[in-house]
Amino acid sequence: MADKGSDPVALWHTMIGEMEKGFNAFANQAMTSPEFSKAMNQAGGATAGAQKQFGDFMEKYLLNMNLPSRAQMIGMAERLQNIESQLNEIKVMLQQMNAGSASSAYSVAPRPPRTKRPPTPAAAAPPTEEPK
Amino acid sequence: MNAAAGLDLASIPERIQSEVQRAIQRSVKGAEYFSTSGPTLGSTPKDILHARGTMNLYHYRPLADEVYRVPVLIVMATTNRGYILDMVPGQSFIEFLLKRGYDVYMLDWMAPKPEEKSLSMEDYVLDFIPDCIRRVQADSGEEDISVIGYCFGGVLSLLYGSIFNNGPMKNLICFTTPIDFRELKLFHNFSDRRYFDVDRLVDSVGNVPPEMILSSFEMLRPAARMTSQIQLWENIWNDEYVKSYRMFDRWATDTLPLAGEYFRAITKDLMWDNKLFNDTMTVGGRKADIADIKVPILHAVAEHDHIVPYEAARHLITKVGSEDKEEVMLKGGHVSLVAGANAVKRLWPKLDSWLAGRST
Repeated sequence: MADKGSDPVALWHTMIGEMEKGFNAFANQAMTSPEFSKAMNQAGGATAGAQKQFGDFMEKYLLNMNLPSRAQMIGMAERLQNIESQLNEIKVMLQQMNAGSASSAYSVAPRPPRTKRPPTPAAAAPPTEEPK
Repeated sequence: MNAAAGLDLASIPERIQSEVQRAIQRSVKGAEYFSTSGPTLGSTPKDILHARGTMNLYHYRPLADEVYRVPVLIVMATTNRGYILDMVPGQSFIEFLLKRGYDVYMLDWMAPKPEEKSLSMEDYVLDFIPDCIRRVQADSGEEDISVIGYCFGGVLSLLYGSIFNNGPMKNLICFTTPIDFRELKLFHNFSDRRYFDVDRLVDSVGNVPPEMILSSFEMLRPAARMTSQIQLWENIWNDEYVKSYRMFDRWATDTLPLAGEYFRAITKDLMWDNKLFNDTMTVGGRKADIADIKVPILHAVAEHDHIVPYEAARHLITKVGSEDKEEVMLKGGHVSLVAGANAVKRLWPKLDSWLAGRST
């Protein structure tokens, strides 16, 4: 078997690893500068402003085209979610009301007793789960 | 062995054969990779105990014949989905806890909707967590509760515990929880108050988009995505590697937006004024000093955490008022500390040995 120093695959892995470390270190150093923060936030602020303006424009455009906007679709989804939540609550109430007969429902299934005690030190974590 | 080059000439044909086979496997598996959806995550059976807007409270179905008296409530970080703690059978923290006899609940988060942009720190600390605690008490019939907070879920748990310091929290476990936000050096610089206009951002976009959150995480290690894709291609013949890659990649990119007011408070109170570290934090006008936390506490930190470096987390244990307190540093990174093959061997057994005796 070739040793690591002459194995091209191992050399490739080492090179990739070192390249990643080096690039991350270099970039992190650059990103701690106030200049980076200033440039990043100027660009980010402009993008957020442009996105907002574009969103407002699209809202008006879709309204004129008689199409639902994203906000309206989200509103619809919200209403559907509320209906689902209410159905869920009704389901829970029904399960509680039928506690005596609905033996298959989880909420009325018997739960394990809360009697567990910690294992004695000798019987604690099995060997396979010991930290290496 | 060719002494001059350090090369074993006899191994070359074997090596070439192996590489050719892997190249063939890469082509076959590469096609599979793009045509399949990856493993199903978060599949441990559970019931939604309560859902309200961005908040979901799950109760996991017990897997043991008897459970410890004190139930466990996991508070997930608000930026990410809770299934990181319930990846696949055998690599699920939740499944591990259930099998070890804990009664497990999780406060997980959905993406806040546009109309939830006004959710504030008060909503999270004084409403969502206490509401979940009450529901866990009602469901389990127990007064005491152990709380586990992951990353920013740990920050929320600390704030909750310092305000509601008379109970019912019985034990607190924090994973990779920052309290000195100056030491999150890159995040601190990204949000430099001289250049980052958080008011303008929140007022214009409402909720902070997930792409922005994801970008800020990825900027901490800008080369990581590229090299991880190179490594994926090299290892695409290896089913276990690909499965693991897909699980973590899916989770890491499944970032949640943050409610606007909540993000504004994080930026101003924590990133700018470092109030949690300076003991000046308040939530809804109520003092939140972690010195007021007196319950047993375990803080697990990762040796190679690039998101929450040790410097940002190390003062937690010294500042809490508990007498029974422990910090444990384990090998791994921010995510591999809590999930994946290494967590199975390191953090989970440690947590079990710490919590078992305090759960009766």
